[in-house]
Amino acid sequence: MRTRSKLCAWVLLGCLPLPVQALSLFACEPEWAALARELAPEARMTSATHAYQDPHYIEARPSLIARLRRADLAICSGAALEAGWLPALQQRAANPGVHNGQPGMLFIASVVETIDQLDEVPFGAGDVHPEGNPHLQLDPERLRQAGAAVSQRLAQVDPDQAAEYRARYLRWSLAWQQRLADWQARAEPLRGQRIVVQHSTFDYLWRWLGIEVIADLEPRPGVPPTPGHLNTLVGQVESGKPLAIVHSWYQAPDSAQWLARRTGVPVLALPSTIAPDRGIGTPAQLFDHLLDQLLEQQNAR
Amino acid sequence: MVSSPVRWLLPLTLLTSLQAQAELQTPEISLTIDAYHKSDNTALGGRLEGWGLSHTELGVRQQFGNVATGKFTAVAEANEEETDFSIEEAYLQSLSLPAGLTLRGGRFLSDLGYLNGQHPHADSFSERPLLYRAFLGGHYYDDGLGLSMVMPTDLYWRISAEAFDGGELGEFEGNPTVGTWALSTSLGGDLSESQSWQAGVSYLRNRMLESGAEAHGHHHDHHDHGADGHHGHSHGAEYAGEHLYMADLVWKWAPRGNNRNQQLTLSAEYARVTDLNEYAGSDDYHEGWYGSAVYRFAPRWSAGVRHGRVDLKLGHGDHFHDGALKETTAMLAWNPTHTQTLRLQYTHQDVVEDWHDTFAGADNAVTLQYIISFGAHDAHAF
Repeated sequence: MRTRSKLCAWVLLGCLPLPVQALSLFACEPEWAALARELAPEARMTSATHAYQDPHYIEARPSLIARLRRADLAICSGAALEAGWLPALQQRAANPGVHNGQPGMLFIASVVETIDQLDEVPFGAGDVHPEGNPHLQLDPERLRQAGAAVSQRLAQVDPDQAAEYRARYLRWSLAWQQRLADWQARAEPLRGQRIVVQHSTFDYLWRWLGIEVIADLEPRPGVPPTPGHLNTLVGQVESGKPLAIVHSWYQAPDSAQWLARRTGVPVLALPSTIAPDRGIGTPAQLFDHLLDQLLEQQNAR
Repeated sequence: MVSSPVRWLLPLTLLTSLQAQAELQTPEISLTIDAYHKSDNTALGGRLEGWGLSHTELGVRQQFGNVATGKFTAVAEANEEETDFSIEEAYLQSLSLPAGLTLRGGRFLSDLGYLNGQHPHADSFSERPLLYRAFLGGHYYDDGLGLSMVMPTDLYWRISAEAFDGGELGEFEGNPTVGTWALSTSLGGDLSESQSWQAGVSYLRNRMLESGAEAHGHHHDHHDHGADGHHGHSHGAEYAGEHLYMADLVWKWAPRGNNRNQQLTLSAEYARVTDLNEYAGSDDYHEGWYGSAVYRFAPRWSAGVRHGRVDLKLGHGDHFHDGALKETTAMLAWNPTHTQTLRLQYTHQDVVEDWHDTFAGADNAVTLQYIISFGAHDAHAF
């Protein structure tokens, strides 16, 4: 008798309308997961990479295939940043919803304008792409535009909650505009400063802050620093008096440290995306952190 | 029965007719050149000694809206003795099936084992392991249909079923419509931020070898004296049986999952071939395995070692003789850019047990290999 009532309960349960499944989001980079979390906090979120990984070089691992298989919406930087691994994931995940051109696949660089676009890539130019610099999450104005695009796309793949997504975006973007004004005021002393970089990761940030890049540790974009190239930079860096030699958290610090020893210019390691394990969990916290670090460097001079 | 060159043209005709209807994206064209110099011939296939081109491929990929994608790969191999052209891939693959399903039709690489579905220029060593060369002719592609399914699970889980004509596995007496069929499954996931894994089992049924019929490959060894009889690119499986079972395991480590600067890859595979012919008892089976370790210690440098062995039953009338060969390989590779690889490899072969000079070609060899690709190349698999 008991078994039968149990059985009845299960059958009843099976007949009930399924609870609304939370939207499943796949972000190629953690900044898009963080942005989506602001705009759709109930969605299930997963990021393929984290702040300590070079997003250009990711393995199309089985775990990523499994995650993309179940995604309703994938959000990626685009501009060929993920060219080495996302196509392999899309091909193996067998999820028609996240193929290029589908509503479930959003490339931010295709809806927000990139810098340094090229009509053609000269032979031997290194890893540069005609689509321009893909690291556009580091410009707060472009991040706001990305927020608008993500919100629209959320409404498209989950129309039942479209109004909710729109309202959330409006609240978020209003708060973002206020922050933008604060950041601009705080960043005033950084305007006109010079900097040495390793790769074009922070180019959007430098443009926004009015900081000039005087040297790149990479001989050509995407090609790791070589001793020969570093040697040619010494004079340039000594005379340019830059604020710091900046490298990303995912890059080995060796080259920057070598040049720092030779020139006396300090090394500054910065995150190029959010890093919840270090208290940088939202896009706003990322810009706060970047400004804090740069201003600290400026004050120490 | 349609003859082989016509058969691979069928999917292509289909491609062109689809092309006429759909509004098309531009096709992606890729060219991969694999040039080498090898100091000596070695046993059980692989590259021939001297200068040559191995697995130089021209690929065209065309997407048909969101419905399907087509792939065509022509391969050229050239060495000091001969030049060989073949069509390795000419297939259509579905893109829009529900439930994680993918259907492939035409000529394509079987999903067997860990390495078989991968393109050889992505390999870490200049030649496939012994077991692939002995049991699958290096890599097994054929004309047929394949259905695979990726499960909606947290753990990656893929199941594939394939049916092939069998014409590319080798020359056999039987000629059924479905010459071979295969089942394979693989599982994979992450152990931590730094470690990931994949494991699989696969099975290949050879229906062209029903009792009574016998593989040609079994007897000619005695006359051709091992490797000299099989040229660099032996398409067929030299040691066949009705059933091929394979198991593979791969483990990768990179500090915090950042594989640009450092990565360690350990992989191992095992294969067993049973029911070799009508006289084979339950103890008469071929067996092979390898284990390999490849370490990328700088963004552009990697080094690796691989050790493998095959234990073969060499058919002689109604009985078998034992044969066993070991191979140890060490390599150093430099990637000046992500489209180029320069590899120096040393191969050492050891004949454990021989019969009638089957492994007379066993030798040590130094190989220098240079790979360069142009155009859109496939993103590499795990």
